[in-house]
Amino acid sequence: MTCAACGQALPDGALFCEACGAKVGSAAAPTVLTPPTTANEDESPISTPTAVRPPVVVEAPQARTCAECGGTVAADGYCEQCGAKAASERDHFREAPAPWLAGVCDRGIVHARNEDAMALYADPAVPGRSVVVVCDGVSSSKDSDVAALAGARAARDVLRAPLPQGLGVAESIEAAATKVFVTAAEAANTAVVAHTDLSSEAPASCTFVAAVAEGSLLRYAVIGDSRAYWLPDAGEGVQLTTDDSMAQLLMAGGMTRAQAEASPQAHAITKWLGKDSPDIVPVCGSLDATGPGWLLVCSDGLWNYASEPAALAGQLRAAAAGAAEESKADPGTLALALVEFAKACGGHDNISVALARVVP
Amino acid sequence: MADFSAAVYQNEFLADGGTDVQAIVSVTCTGAGTAGQSDAGGDAGEIIIIDTSGSMGVETMEGAKAAAVAALGEIVDGTFFAIISGNGAAFLAYPNVRSGPGMVRMDDRTRAEATRAIHALSAAGGTVISTWLDLAGTLFASVPEVRQRHALLLTDGENNEPAGVLDAAIARATGYYQADCRGAGTDWKVSEIRRIAQALLGTVDIIPEPAQMEAEFEAIMRTAMSRGVADAQLRVWAPQGAQVVFVRQVLPTVEDLTARRTPVNELTGAYPTGAWSDETRDYHVSVRLPAKAVGQEQLAARVQLAVGDEVKAQGLVKAKWSGDSNLTARIDAQVAHYTGQTELAAVIQEGLAAKAAGQEELATTKLGRAVQLAAETGNDEATAKLRKVVEVEDAETGTVRLKKAVEKADEMALDTASTKTTRVRK
Repeated sequence: MTCAACGQALPDGALFCEACGAKVGSAAAPTVLTPPTTANEDESPISTPTAVRPPVVVEAPQARTCAECGGTVAADGYCEQCGAKAASERDHFREAPAPWLAGVCDRGIVHARNEDAMALYADPAVPGRSVVVVCDGVSSSKDSDVAALAGARAARDVLRAPLPQGLGVAESIEAAATKVFVTAAEAANTAVVAHTDLSSEAPASCTFVAAVAEGSLLRYAVIGDSRAYWLPDAGEGVQLTTDDSMAQLLMAGGMTRAQAEASPQAHAITKWLGKDSPDIVPVCGSLDATGPGWLLVCSDGLWNYASEPAALAGQLRAAAAGAAEESKADPGTLALALVEFAKACGGHDNISVALARVVP
Repeated sequence: MADFSAAVYQNEFLADGGTDVQAIVSVTCTGAGTAGQSDAGGDAGEIIIIDTSGSMGVETMEGAKAAAVAALGEIVDGTFFAIISGNGAAFLAYPNVRSGPGMVRMDDRTRAEATRAIHALSAAGGTVISTWLDLAGTLFASVPEVRQRHALLLTDGENNEPAGVLDAAIARATGYYQADCRGAGTDWKVSEIRRIAQALLGTVDIIPEPAQMEAEFEAIMRTAMSRGVADAQLRVWAPQGAQVVFVRQVLPTVEDLTARRTPVNELTGAYPTGAWSDETRDYHVSVRLPAKAVGQEQLAARVQLAVGDEVKAQGLVKAKWSGDSNLTARIDAQVAHYTGQTELAAVIQEGLAAKAAGQEELATTKLGRAVQLAAETGNDEATAKLRKVVEVEDAETGTVRLKKAVEKADEMALDTASTKTTRVRK
């Protein structure tokens, strides 16, 4: 048997010719398609454009200004004039997505790099809704700075949409909201693990605290020892979250807060996010605010110097008192003032402070 | 296309109140190519200057002629060249022209003509080196397309003119062409010829025997032709309020560049480095900063290698103030090594000068210190040359005795080699 098209010898039962691809049994040679010619062939495009895209504008990286002398920071990260090392964007950054929500994340004084991370979200068109995530990278592990930031941003993105209402009954609303926070923690954990060097002996890890304010309702979730506080304008403030830390275990065992937080192992955390974490389910909670006040979310870089809600509220009042008249209620100004307070106390750790104004 | 890279060796930690930062910046050039072959560098020009004073004598003169012919063989075809015969005045031995361009391109014909011209040279008259340098400058200037200019100068005797005249000629040549200088025999003055070589970014050495000239000239010209980067500058930026204490080349030889700074801008100075082949040169930079608080970090210097206006490589010298004395007390091994080598060059020259002036005690102390430093820094060449001038009793403590009978050539070889350095032993 041979191929009718090219004459190649074919084995019995062949359906197609191995040489030319012609179907066995078809007498004609395989059809060669020739494109139809048009009158203006040279001018026709090969295919019509499917969409007109605006040209991509690549913005030249903005020359940064030296914080020391006002000179220009060169590409090598040092000032062209005085040689001062410019703080990296990672070492100090601020976010202020809406007039009622802002935060500052800072390296502090002692640590060589900023392993704290913060991610905020608010839609200026949706007043009263704030999303805050803070992750404190564990400094004994590798790449925690990169992982913590990725984790915080991943969790924030999960919390962008308004919290679900479930079937509308209280239990159902609670369960649905909790599910979202659990998902946010999972997303953060996935991002942290994705930024972990798999061969590392000390995989990247971090704490996790997320808080969402919707009107008067504050919801929060925590893993580790970063915290959320409710500091009302009138009345006593409360620490919303409970740390997963040795200090907390000691307090549960009867020690006072001051004693427990001063103990040598106080800062060892018992839960965290990361490749080697045994438990990534956050403890969730909520509070219905009865009057105006501040939702404060921070890392231990701040609360190390003002752990009691009353102490923090005092610092917040001091910050407002020290601010210019028009920025007494500006969360960015107040958050920065709290960071400066922590640095003035020694800045022994990285500092994250986010403030959301809550007006029921 | 040549590539440059820079590596910085330093201890960036300063104690509280510390102000002085020291660093070794190691600059390496690769892919330099051949002189005169790059687009940017223009044509290369070579001038061979041969001493034809009466003191040369038959044997030295014949050696010099053979060496010059050997050097011609190394000059790549297409390179502009000329031969100067120098005694009490300078003469253009080749090409045979009276006006117009004083250099011709190398090819088989010009090489043969130049060889005949060299063989026709004969020795007579005195030694007035300033005229030789000036003629070389005039010849280079007569061929504008030559932008990489190099001369090879051979002399055998002391210069017969007031020092100021020679210095003025050196100043006219400085920054215009480079020159490697060689002294034949032992009747020339190392300090005088070293002044020329240092200013003109070249090397200086002694050729004790006429038979050694040919190989030496070949090697010099081969190196010159491998310098495909016509001209490069070392640039040092220091922050406002800081002071550049010194900038020295420390490898392959010690050359203090501090005084040769020309400003690029308010904070940046340029230092000449001449032409580059595939090689590594190390620079020792010291910057004095206003002290900052413990925990602060800043840049102390940007050390750059620039060809034309293009910065090809950059090394960052940093300063970090720290309260940890374990960090601040450490001296970088490279900095320590080259500090020792710089002192070695100085004590050899001072020791030999003292010896020449009859100050035996001072000479013994200086050369003893030299023996000690050469041993410490592993400079075996210096050690070998020192041993020909002094009896070493104990290298570790630098205990030496001056030798009673020393060959003049050995002493001059020690002097010319005094600035040669070695790398840190790994």
